[in-house]
Amino acid sequence: MDFFHAHQAQHYLVLAAMLFALGAAGVVLRRNAIIVLMSIELMLNAVNLTFLAFSRFPLVPNSPMGSFLTGHAAVFFVIATAAAEASVGLAIIIAVFRSRTSVNVDEFDTLKL
Amino acid sequence: MEVTWLHLIPLLPLIGAAVCGLVGKWLPKSWVYAVALGSVLLSFLIGLRAFIGLGEQTPLFHELWFNWFSAGSLRVDMAFTFDRLSGALTLVVTGVGFLIHVYSVGYMEEDPGYWRYFSYLNLFIAAMMTLVLGDNLVAMFVGWEGVGLCSYLLIGFWFTDEEKAYAGRKAFVVNRIGDFGFLIGIFILFNQTGTVGIAQINSAVLPLGVASMAALCLFIGAAGKSAQLPLYIWLPDAMAGPTPVSALIHAATMVTAGVYMVARLSHLYVSAPGVMAVVAVVGVLTALWSALIATSQNDIKKVLAYSTVSQLGYMFIGVGVGAFFAGTMHLVTHAFFKACLFLGSGAVIHGLHGEQDIQKMGGLRKYLPSTRTTFLVATIAITGILPISGFFSKDEILGQALHTRAFSFLTLTPNGSARLTWLGPLIYAVGSFSAFLTSFYMWRCYFLTFSGEYRGPDSVHPHESPSVMTVPLWILAALSVVGLVLGLPQAWVHGTGLQHWTWEHFTEGVFSRPRGGAPEEFSPYLGYGIALIVGWAGWACSYALFFKRGLAGDELLTARVQGLRRALANKLYVDELYDFLIVRPLWALARGLFRVVDATLIDGIFVNGIPALIAWVGAMARRFQNGDVQRYLAVTALGVAALLYVFLVRG
Repeated sequence: MDFFHAHQAQHYLVLAAMLFALGAAGVVLRRNAIIVLMSIELMLNAVNLTFLAFSRFPLVPNSPMGSFLTGHAAVFFVIATAAAEASVGLAIIIAVFRSRTSVNVDEFDTLKL
Repeated sequence: MEVTWLHLIPLLPLIGAAVCGLVGKWLPKSWVYAVALGSVLLSFLIGLRAFIGLGEQTPLFHELWFNWFSAGSLRVDMAFTFDRLSGALTLVVTGVGFLIHVYSVGYMEEDPGYWRYFSYLNLFIAAMMTLVLGDNLVAMFVGWEGVGLCSYLLIGFWFTDEEKAYAGRKAFVVNRIGDFGFLIGIFILFNQTGTVGIAQINSAVLPLGVASMAALCLFIGAAGKSAQLPLYIWLPDAMAGPTPVSALIHAATMVTAGVYMVARLSHLYVSAPGVMAVVAVVGVLTALWSALIATSQNDIKKVLAYSTVSQLGYMFIGVGVGAFFAGTMHLVTHAFFKACLFLGSGAVIHGLHGEQDIQKMGGLRKYLPSTRTTFLVATIAITGILPISGFFSKDEILGQALHTRAFSFLTLTPNGSARLTWLGPLIYAVGSFSAFLTSFYMWRCYFLTFSGEYRGPDSVHPHESPSVMTVPLWILAALSVVGLVLGLPQAWVHGTGLQHWTWEHFTEGVFSRPRGGAPEEFSPYLGYGIALIVGWAGWACSYALFFKRGLAGDELLTARVQGLRRALANKLYVDELYDFLIVRPLWALARGLFRVVDATLIDGIFVNGIPALIAWVGAMARRFQNGDVQRYLAVTALGVAALLYVFLVRG
């Protein structure tokens, strides 16, 4: 099968995987908490892309489990959750910055005993 | 006859011990005395009442107090038997024990630990009565260990003195060796007969090998408790305890437990003639060995201690040659005169404010008249220069040894010709020589203590003891004389009222008879003549040396046989030998085991090694928890990736 011409889910899935890996790398490697938050958004959107890809190209056609809109609905939930998460996360970052005058995550290691 | 009050004899002193030991410190002194003396006196009276009740119809009283434990076919009862032997022993233990309690009131007057002392003493009486009355070997063993415990506690009574504490420990450890043999003997007997009851074991028919093995193991126990070669070394050191304790435990009662046990199991021993020979030979060697050492000791209590070891040797000759009545008779008479001697020495030590060296005594007959007279009577009794108690009982043993047939399986070959016939006469000869030595060292002790002039420092003014101490001395001296009735030969008293009081007649039916048959009737006169000559010869040597010359006699003797005297004064270096052969190797082994097993294996690997391992694992694991959320996430992501690889690609 010609990879670049087949209108199948692969393209979307590969793109989503790349986005997800990029986001994960950002979460793990970046020091600035705001960038970490943005990387998380990136990962969530990679997931959204996956949902939509499977919604457009279902693995089992006409599955009784769900309709064309199932994936879309899940994406809306994720977007809503992401918005909430972003607002809470930003609020935490502001609170942390006020007390520590820094948003570098590697300085916040008081979780250890 | 089954009765229900026999257990009171050991129980009352036990209660007394509990009261004195637990609350005695806060009770008035007189209450402690009342409890301690009263409980023993009550035991004595109960024993006396029971003793009078013994007769033709009731040869013994028996009580099953309670079933101690049962396991499978093993059934161990706390049950007591009061027959003529254990009955007489009950009277001796509680009677002499009571006198020594009375004496102790005077002797321990100044000691702040008197309540502890009387508690131990009562506990001892309780344990000793359990030993004597117990109708099975396990009950007997309880008493056996109990008296050992009390002995340990009382030897080390003044435990702040390192040396005395060590003496207590030594007694305990040496006794443990013997007790091990006793236990093995019990195991063998239970294994072979299925019972631990003494009466049942005595009536069981055992093969020669089994009987010999069991009897030998039990004899090891007896040798430990009764201070026979080679386990006698603890008894001289046991003199570290208060003197009344030496009189009660280490002369009159506890140390005779081994003799009592052998006599109690007479049927077992008779069925093992080889062991009988061993018992007799060990007895005679011990008698000679310690009599030799006693001739050169200068501590009055050490002389008496070696004398006790020697007399115990005589008792073992008695039971070893099958004359169980003679051995136990000597046990009883010895309890009287040796307790009297020890209490006398205690009165001397008391009167000289703790001086025990007979070189610093002398001339005490002027200062301690009562002590001197009673000591003299007891010395006559033990040396047998006049026919009172010790003369008859010792001579009975030697006479029976000369005529014994107890080793008949050794002495008679299958075709009837005799072999080993020299063993009995040899025991007689060596025993008689030991009797000479006994007379020599006892008179040396007497002359150096009471005759001549006082040699101690002027600062010490010898004084007679209070009557609470001298009255028991007089009673014991009287018993030493009256005890002669026990030993009168049957021919003399036949048909008279005295016959019932002789020990041989009294204990008839209690003991087994040797398989070789009783020796034919022999005339005692020749034996008595030899015994008198031997006794007087010892007296004469002692008189010439020590009465005439005092301490110069000792120097004269030393000049003649210098090496021997020095060796004897150093107890023939047995302690040093044991130290070299046993104690040091044991210490070395213990140190080695400590280093390898304890320090390296237990402490190094188990105690410290396992925590060190856990600490190391923890240190490794701690690196993962560094508080860096990003690191956690990275690890989580890697983990998820690994799981996905495993389940999706490989699966």
